Amino acid sequence: MYFELFFVLICLSKCYCLDREDDQDQCALLIKWLHSSSVSLEVSKKGFHREVTTTVDVRPEALSSGASVLLLHRWPRGVFVDPYQLASLSDHSNWEILLDSAIDLELPAHKTSGFSTYMFPTTLLPNILKFKIPVHGRYHESSFAGETFTSVHFEPPELLLRTKKCTDLHRFESYPVVDAPCTVSNSSTCSWFKKSQQQEGSSIISMMLPVGDGSATKLVCSGTLLVTGICSVALSKYILKHRII
Amino acid sequence: METLLSKLPDKHVLFSASFVVRVALVAYGDHQDRTMEVKYTDIDYHVFTDAARFITQGESPYNRSTYRYTPLLAWILTPNIYLCMAFGKILFVFCDVLSGVLIYTILCLRGLHGKTATCVCSLWLLNPLPMGVSSRGNAESIMAALVLGMLLCMEAKRLVWAAVLYGLSVHMKIYPITYALPIALALRAPQEGSADAKSIRTWKKFVTFIGSFLNRELIVFGIVSGGVFSIFTLAFYYMYGWTFLHETYFYHLTRRDIRHNFSPYFYMLYLTADSRGSQWLGLAAFLPQLILLLVASWSFHQDLAFACFLNTAIFVSFNKVCTSQYFLWYLCLLPLIIPNLTLSVKQGLTLLLLWFAGQALWLAPAYFLEFEGYNTFVLIWLAGLLFLMVNCFVLIQIITHYRPKPPPQRPKAE
Repeated sequence: MYFELFFVLICLSKCYCLDREDDQDQCALLIKWLHSSSVSLEVSKKGFHREVTTTVDVRPEALSSGASVLLLHRWPRGVFVDPYQLASLSDHSNWEILLDSAIDLELPAHKTSGFSTYMFPTTLLPNILKFKIPVHGRYHESSFAGETFTSVHFEPPELLLRTKKCTDLHRFESYPVVDAPCTVSNSSTCSWFKKSQQQEGSSIISMMLPVGDGSATKLVCSGTLLVTGICSVALSKYILKHRII
Repeated sequence: METLLSKLPDKHVLFSASFVVRVALVAYGDHQDRTMEVKYTDIDYHVFTDAARFITQGESPYNRSTYRYTPLLAWILTPNIYLCMAFGKILFVFCDVLSGVLIYTILCLRGLHGKTATCVCSLWLLNPLPMGVSSRGNAESIMAALVLGMLLCMEAKRLVWAAVLYGLSVHMKIYPITYALPIALALRAPQEGSADAKSIRTWKKFVTFIGSFLNRELIVFGIVSGGVFSIFTLAFYYMYGWTFLHETYFYHLTRRDIRHNFSPYFYMLYLTADSRGSQWLGLAAFLPQLILLLVASWSFHQDLAFACFLNTAIFVSFNKVCTSQYFLWYLCLLPLIIPNLTLSVKQGLTLLLLWFAGQALWLAPAYFLEFEGYNTFVLIWLAGLLFLMVNCFVLIQIITHYRPKPPPQRPKAE
């Protein structure tokens, strides 16, 4: 009897060890896939209404194994996204987006702070994925140094991977782990492996936005008040001249 | 002119055709929205519909960001959610055609011949601008119908109805408040001229002037319109609190939109947005508008339609923010004064072209700023000032060539 009990215990512990080994294998695979993946960003169109294209290159085995992909964009305060526009676009796009905070569509750049978006791809084939999001430039503070443009810098997004088969991520102390929503419905938080960043600043993209000329403030104010004053005096004169008595 | 008038359709044909054309535009707009990248429907229509959806879910319409209108509009548009998305557009198109009918009726009451009135109101009914605006889903036609309805009731001496419509129009948008002074001046007791006016002391004249406002008609108008406005304001304040007051009224009164728009003050307000003197500049920008409104109200209150047209045009042209939607506020009143203008067709068309040219000169650098990324701020500023000068020139030409309707016959003083 003791022999049978001992035998069952050995089998159970072997199953547990196999599970743990499986778990470790899956996590190691995720890290391996992340190492070999790449993500880049480019900004197209001109003016205040731009399109940001994020290109992600992930191993096909990662996608076919059922791993979830998440792109975490940290946007500068010089731009904003229109949540209503994104909602209407997501029906025809290959992504769903979750915003981390409410966005004021009208504030100038210096009165707001940056925000983050969590982009969940809805189609994961083919393995090189392109995601396009419309972004809009905010008005910036006028420049007193004679500059006619200001630059807004975009960092490439963070690529996050997780899989249900890898449950204990925190054992991999040397590899960055991030807590983020599990799905776009934001009902729970999961741990994700984050692709470690390459050298800082190497892949920052910039776009230029026009700004007002602060050094011309006095001229603009006096010119505006002069013209509006003259117009109002002229108009008053003709109104009073042709008034109905 | 007679041959042109004889070729005009009967007014019922005109009204029906105008409605059919607008409904066809709504149907086309739906097709364009579904098939093309550039959408026909205005973004404002989606704002209204989203706000109406929040109401159907028992929430505040102000949960919809950038909804800055009365909750009444969202309530009226709840059939967008229950029935059909196009309900609001059909309503706006109906109000647009109703505005044309009201213009026709007012012109007939002012003594114009039926055929001439049909010709003049076709300037609104067959005008592509209001057609496009209402079929795209802007709610300006509701305001046009309310203001024209008020003027019709004033013309027909139906004071209570005029007061109800006026109170409602001020609740929906602030700008009709500029009609308060001309209406008050028009309703006060008639001033009797006196041969020895100079010998009356100034203080007595002043007392007589103030006393003329204590008049049954004016008091009734004030109580009814004030009551209608207060009922709606209190009801919505009870339902939605401070947010309603802020988004519907205070936001528009204190609005400092530094993004490019037609206003001559746009660049000045952008450059001084955070400076200490910006409050004084705001006040300096408000003074010409206020003084002109007072002068115009006083000078033309005897012809209420003209006074309202002039007040609205002054308000829009000298405002700190001006978008193309605002033009409809005074364009809907233009057909009422056209029969009294002594301008020739050639002169009228020249002024119209000048007005369009002023807009085009602004739109060009604005396009290059917004969609091509060039720094055209100075050009936009100069174009804004030029557009103000064009507007003032056009208004001066209208004032100079306006022949008011003859005053009602007064009994001879004994």
